[in-house]
Amino acid sequence: MKWLEKYKVQVPILEKESDYPNWAISMTTTLLNHTGTWRIFRPIYLNKIPPCNNECPTNEKIQSYMDLVKQDKLLEAYKLILEDNPFPSITGRVCYHPCETECNRKDYDESIGIHCVERFIGDWGLKKVPFAKPATKRKVSIAIIGSGPAGMASAYYLALNGFNVTIFEKKAKLGGMLRYGIPAYRLPKKVLDNEFKKLITLGVKFRTSSLVGKDITLDNLRKNFDFVIIGHGAHKNRPMVIPNEEASGVFSGLDFLSQINSGKRPKIGKKVAIIGGGNTAIDAARSCLRLGSIPTILYRRTRAEMPAVSDEIDAAEAEGIKIEFLVAPVKITVTKKGKLTGIELIKMKLGRPDASGRRRPVPVEKSNFTLKFDSIISAIGEQVDLSILSADITKTEWGVKADFIGRTNIQNIFAIGDCVTGPKTVVEAFGAGKRTALQIMGNADKIQHKVERPVQYSELNLDYFEHTQKVPPPQMPVAVRKKNFKEVHTGYSNVNAKNESERCFSCGVCNKCDNCFVVCPDLSVLKDTGEYEFDYDYCKGCGVCAHECPRYAITMIEESKAEVE
Amino acid sequence: MKKVITGNHAVSYGALLARSQVIAAYPITPQTQIVELLSEFCASGKLNAKFIKVESEHSAMTACIAASATGARTFTATSSHGLALMHEMLHWAAAARLPVVLANVNRAMGPGWSVWTDQNDSLSQRDLGWIQLYCESNQEVLDTTIQAFKIAEKVLLPVMVVLDAFVLSHTSEPVDIPEQTLVDKFLPPYDLKTKLDLSAAKSYGALTNPDHYFEIRYKIQKAHDEALHVIKDVDNDFYEHFGRKYGVVEAYRCEDAKVIVVTSGTISGTTRGVIDEMREQGRKVGMLKQKLLRPTPVDELRSILYKAQKIAVIDRNLSFGHSGIFAQEIKSTLYGLAGAPPIYDYVIGLGGRDVTPDDIREIIDNTFKAESPRDTIIWRGVRL
Repeated sequence: MKWLEKYKVQVPILEKESDYPNWAISMTTTLLNHTGTWRIFRPIYLNKIPPCNNECPTNEKIQSYMDLVKQDKLLEAYKLILEDNPFPSITGRVCYHPCETECNRKDYDESIGIHCVERFIGDWGLKKVPFAKPATKRKVSIAIIGSGPAGMASAYYLALNGFNVTIFEKKAKLGGMLRYGIPAYRLPKKVLDNEFKKLITLGVKFRTSSLVGKDITLDNLRKNFDFVIIGHGAHKNRPMVIPNEEASGVFSGLDFLSQINSGKRPKIGKKVAIIGGGNTAIDAARSCLRLGSIPTILYRRTRAEMPAVSDEIDAAEAEGIKIEFLVAPVKITVTKKGKLTGIELIKMKLGRPDASGRRRPVPVEKSNFTLKFDSIISAIGEQVDLSILSADITKTEWGVKADFIGRTNIQNIFAIGDCVTGPKTVVEAFGAGKRTALQIMGNADKIQHKVERPVQYSELNLDYFEHTQKVPPPQMPVAVRKKNFKEVHTGYSNVNAKNESERCFSCGVCNKCDNCFVVCPDLSVLKDTGEYEFDYDYCKGCGVCAHECPRYAITMIEESKAEVE
Repeated sequence: MKKVITGNHAVSYGALLARSQVIAAYPITPQTQIVELLSEFCASGKLNAKFIKVESEHSAMTACIAASATGARTFTATSSHGLALMHEMLHWAAAARLPVVLANVNRAMGPGWSVWTDQNDSLSQRDLGWIQLYCESNQEVLDTTIQAFKIAEKVLLPVMVVLDAFVLSHTSEPVDIPEQTLVDKFLPPYDLKTKLDLSAAKSYGALTNPDHYFEIRYKIQKAHDEALHVIKDVDNDFYEHFGRKYGVVEAYRCEDAKVIVVTSGTISGTTRGVIDEMREQGRKVGMLKQKLLRPTPVDELRSILYKAQKIAVIDRNLSFGHSGIFAQEIKSTLYGLAGAPPIYDYVIGLGGRDVTPDDIREIIDNTFKAESPRDTIIWRGVRL
């Protein structure tokens, strides 16, 4: 009766036929007729999970910050990202952006350039927003082993919430794989340093050049800290196990990258072979190019099976790096004096799928051949160094045994990131770090899990969207960039970011587009409170609002199943 | 002033003299001449009315409804399929209690395609709430058209003036065309009490739930009850102004008649001659001309027909699967009266087949001779 009260409607008394008008003419208002009683289905506003958010390993609320960017609310957008990912300037550069892969817009024209928008917001925030300080101080101490992405994320959320965090880092500088693994042309050291300022401002203590197991023992940490988080990553180069692997001129991929990232210039020759198809191989190859060498990647499967991020492979090829597929190393060839001359390879073909689902490479008999190289970089994968762990911690084939939240078999010891999963991505390490932090903070209920069925493309009403093109990620021209280690991608401008955010479908999430308000034939969508509400006194349940919602933010439910108001 | 004019033009003159303010119509044989002449009146400035051209009869009636709802005196004319196409809006006009006047030239419905007369078109619209008046002559057509506006505006019901195709519509007769000043006195401008008013916006004809619909329908019936008196008053008033009256029914030489023939439309004219001739021969026969079909003039029908020994109803129409429609009307009117005379239903002249004095004579002879009506329908002039 909201309306009737609002308009102070007097209900006419119609006792006998002479009280009636001659024909059907309104005597007060048609609001007296509660057409809502006819309803058998009712619409409800029900936000759902968009595929981008669902796919994001840190569960960034991507749709929401797109909406904020659209409205020029950059501060809100930045703060919203930090709720789930403390370092968007890092992920905005190195994330493999599964959000874009899953973006429903890809089936319409092109996915949203989420990755670049995230970077724009991250960089904007680093420049404009003061670093957060812890709200309160708590008397709980945390030791984190490793200052890589997993440890960084944990440290951020724990310190922000007043926990006493100390990070133990074996290397001289912070960042782990972010600093020593990823080349500067992808992630400039300055960006990393700036992101670390967030942790410094939060009062996180750093113990660099402290190798756990040597400089300090795990048992010691367990005694002196309330919680220990192991996040030392996967930094051990997997050996190729072929003759002459130890020859001079053979580098391990990670060592090679680490040297460059430490400001050294490894002594590589002109012609360099890089063995492997992962991100390390690509990074090594592109770094070689920038050092003036001619790199060739040798990979035992085909392009489709390459574990490296597709964009990175594209970039490498654009820079003119040759990739030989379906070849596997048999031995390193050397002169009698032990000088490296090249590599003997065997051709491969694809057999049945292996445990990873990819087709297993099988050697083609008697297909051996030799190629000449001056240097060889082995980048066939990294392993976890398990030597620092005490005997009572359960391990798996490849690392520490821990669950989704990071819990190991021992209470108060957590393990996160590559040391649990084997070599994975930065964003997955961030996600793991955040989950463990939430668990320790007593906010386990905020740990998000993927849903099976995020909003589907078929559930959107595409009539409301014009076809538009994605703003291509701006980057330096190949001729310029391949000569130095300057950042390849130059990033979106504010205008670019806004254009991209305007392309967002906002799958499953109401963004107040007003469509339901406009199309409702019964004027039963109310906005008096600033939020949309259905006026169930008059809503007939026709479903036009739900059908015409461009983004599937309205659901029709059976009236009998609706909550009794 | 007397003029020799067709039945159609008699309608046009009626609408002209009534000072119609809005006319919306779509042409259809045999009605077209009515609105043709009216459009000329409008074009020449003789009639100060808004003539609305439409693309169908449905729209014509819709336009009339809207115009009438603003309080304008509104007129349209149609026939047969045109009337059928109006059907939905005919309901509307009646239920909205709008005093629209419509002239319908009775034309048989197709297929087979026909332009000739019978009454099935107007009788199909019997139950909508419209007043229906059937005319015999061109003079009656003109006079009834003028009366129709007065009746409609008094009881707030739409009125249908009905005339036979060609036999009346295209046949010329001398017609006394009344003086405008006199018509103005008889039919002054009117003011519709509840009309579209921008300063007091309301919802018109909107949803009416079961709580309220029934009473509004009851009021339509009540208006019809009132119309029975109003139509007679208007007729008397007309007589005082113009010296002509028609009655809701006309009993012609019915005193002491053993057989009364019930007629409507132009068949009344033919029958009138046969009655005179047979009366001269000493046959006790009379005619009841039913001018008013809705509302049913029950009292008049009963008081006249009750005295006869036999009643012959001539129906130029047929309710398929039952009988002639006027016969049904007479039967239901007399039902329950002890000693009411038997009713013989003659169906004749469908699709404009001639109804001659010989046919009428045969009908009367047959009725005199017949023991009791064995069949529901007695077919005349059809090859069986």
